[in-house]
Amino acid sequence: MARFFSRAARPILLAPAGSPDAAKVALQAGADTIYVGLKGWSRGGAKGELTSEELLDTLAAAHAQGRKLQVALNTIPRRSERRYLVGRVEELIGLGIDGVIVNDAGLMAELHTRYPELRITASIGCAAMNEADVAFYRDLGADAVVLPGTLSADELYAAAQVPEVLIEVMIHMVEEFIVLGKCWMPSYYRLNPTPLAELHGEGNRLIGSMKRGGAGVCFKVCEHPWVLSLNGQDVAQRLLPSRQISSINALSDILDAGVDVVKLQGRSLSPDLLAPIVGRYRRAIDAWEGGGPVPALQELPLEPSWTVSRR
Amino acid sequence: MTQPFELNTTISNLRDLHASDLSLYDAIYLGNITCRLYEANLLEHLGDLRDAIATVKAHGLKAYVTSYAAPRNDFLPKLAKAMAVAVEAGADAVEVHNLGVLKIVHEAHPGLPIHVGGFANVYTDAGAEVLKQFGAVRITPNYELSLEEIGQIHRQVGLPMELLVHGKMPLGISDHCFLLEYEEAWGMKCPDLCQQDLFLKQGDWAMKSVGKGVLSGKDVCMLEHLPRLVGEGNTRFRIETVSESPEYRLEVGRVYREALERAFAGTDGVEERWWTTLRRHARIGLCNGFYFGRSGMEYLGVRPDAVASALRRPVAETTDYQAQGAIR
Repeated sequence: MARFFSRAARPILLAPAGSPDAAKVALQAGADTIYVGLKGWSRGGAKGELTSEELLDTLAAAHAQGRKLQVALNTIPRRSERRYLVGRVEELIGLGIDGVIVNDAGLMAELHTRYPELRITASIGCAAMNEADVAFYRDLGADAVVLPGTLSADELYAAAQVPEVLIEVMIHMVEEFIVLGKCWMPSYYRLNPTPLAELHGEGNRLIGSMKRGGAGVCFKVCEHPWVLSLNGQDVAQRLLPSRQISSINALSDILDAGVDVVKLQGRSLSPDLLAPIVGRYRRAIDAWEGGGPVPALQELPLEPSWTVSRR
Repeated sequence: MTQPFELNTTISNLRDLHASDLSLYDAIYLGNITCRLYEANLLEHLGDLRDAIATVKAHGLKAYVTSYAAPRNDFLPKLAKAMAVAVEAGADAVEVHNLGVLKIVHEAHPGLPIHVGGFANVYTDAGAEVLKQFGAVRITPNYELSLEEIGQIHRQVGLPMELLVHGKMPLGISDHCFLLEYEEAWGMKCPDLCQQDLFLKQGDWAMKSVGKGVLSGKDVCMLEHLPRLVGEGNTRFRIETVSESPEYRLEVGRVYREALERAFAGTDGVEERWWTTLRRHARIGLCNGFYFGRSGMEYLGVRPDAVASALRRPVAETTDYQAQGAIR
């Protein structure tokens, strides 16, 4: 399998697909590449993961349309699990996948060493936020690094100057209070080890740990009301700040900054929610490529709570 | 005779450094990892950083300079200068939480010992092995790891693991400070806001807010488990006092200094006065973090009263969020 990106000749629209139906509508709506979670191994948990059979069918559908498919393996496997997962990656390569998304420096380095032609993306869970992070993950073997849509065009421009690595921006995402990849508030409250069936009892998913992934994962404790206590007195009831980022109207600046891949968050989005989002970004990218102004598109006024409750 | 262990802690600014009795510690991490605007953050006031390193070393202690947990691009030039000052002023090591910063420091100062901090997300031996190649000589594994997992990394990679043995455990880092919303209402401004006694409470559990940083409400306490930690070959221990008073730093440090000396001498026993001190300083109660493979706020041990909470209810009666549909 050859690496399919050098510096991207044109912007790539990378859409989530948490089910075969979601994959179908994402491709119909104009995604260049879709990313799917392999059951048991993706950040975000069982909701939005594909079985091996579903993955095979979805891969065939994508390739039949000349599109690409990446597989999210962005939990952090333990030592015993890692051997198994590295073996699964070899199977996936044999199936013809177009890349993997990983979350751990150790796994990334091992995959790059074993499978030097495998396209590897440093997941949003790597919490890369600056150009030095981009260079670090490139050095480990990442072909692309995902940056959050919270970064400015100037920051993206600086990141895009790092040679020999593609810049992906999660342009449509929920910005939670805690930086993605730097949170273990849920597991502070509850952590449930759960056997991972694929490993025949030899491995566990730790429900409650976003980093460990697996079924259930994050309890979203940050999205419930908190009482703020100041010097022993309860002074406010509040939510921790979060917001939906949909930077479609800043797309020209983002692409002008040299961003290669426009990534959309939401493997748990239902097909009816996903299709219009992908279509909207497709039209905006096409307009930018055509040299004309990107149409001012009215984003849905999504409150984070609305989006979160449905993703 | 070389002391068999190191007890260290964190101090953010010169004022706090001068107000603290450092005699219970072997090393001090200097700087605040959460926010550039933290009061006189040593990472932003490089003259102060030089003074702080000199002060720590004048006490005969090791001086470590920490760095930001989640730096944006515009942090990097100043951070690079802070690391250069650390080297010039004779710091014994720097601590990095961000892997881009690790690369910067390793390339600029190839021989400088680097401690990898808890926000660097070292979960596995493979991850630790990679960071070792970038100059890491010590690792604080991610706080979610159990002692068993930490031991595996230690054995596989051969680097010392630094363990948080007491204090409020970091749970997350944000790019925003929501406390700024309260400047008018509370009649105080940054950087005073995050130095207040602030807790986020949800039913029967709590987390401490330090603005951009979130810490455990309970104090991690490994006092009665020190013999196990020592028996498993751990020698680097941290008391997290970044959000605490000089009194906390002194009194909790004294407890652990005595307890570690006893543990390394192979003597069993926990003094009642130690518990009295730790309970007095723990506003929300005590927990073991994730060391026993359980949720971070649980406490396992022979001192069930250690979990006594200012929130009035013991862990066993905690709200069932799953039953309430909060867990998706």
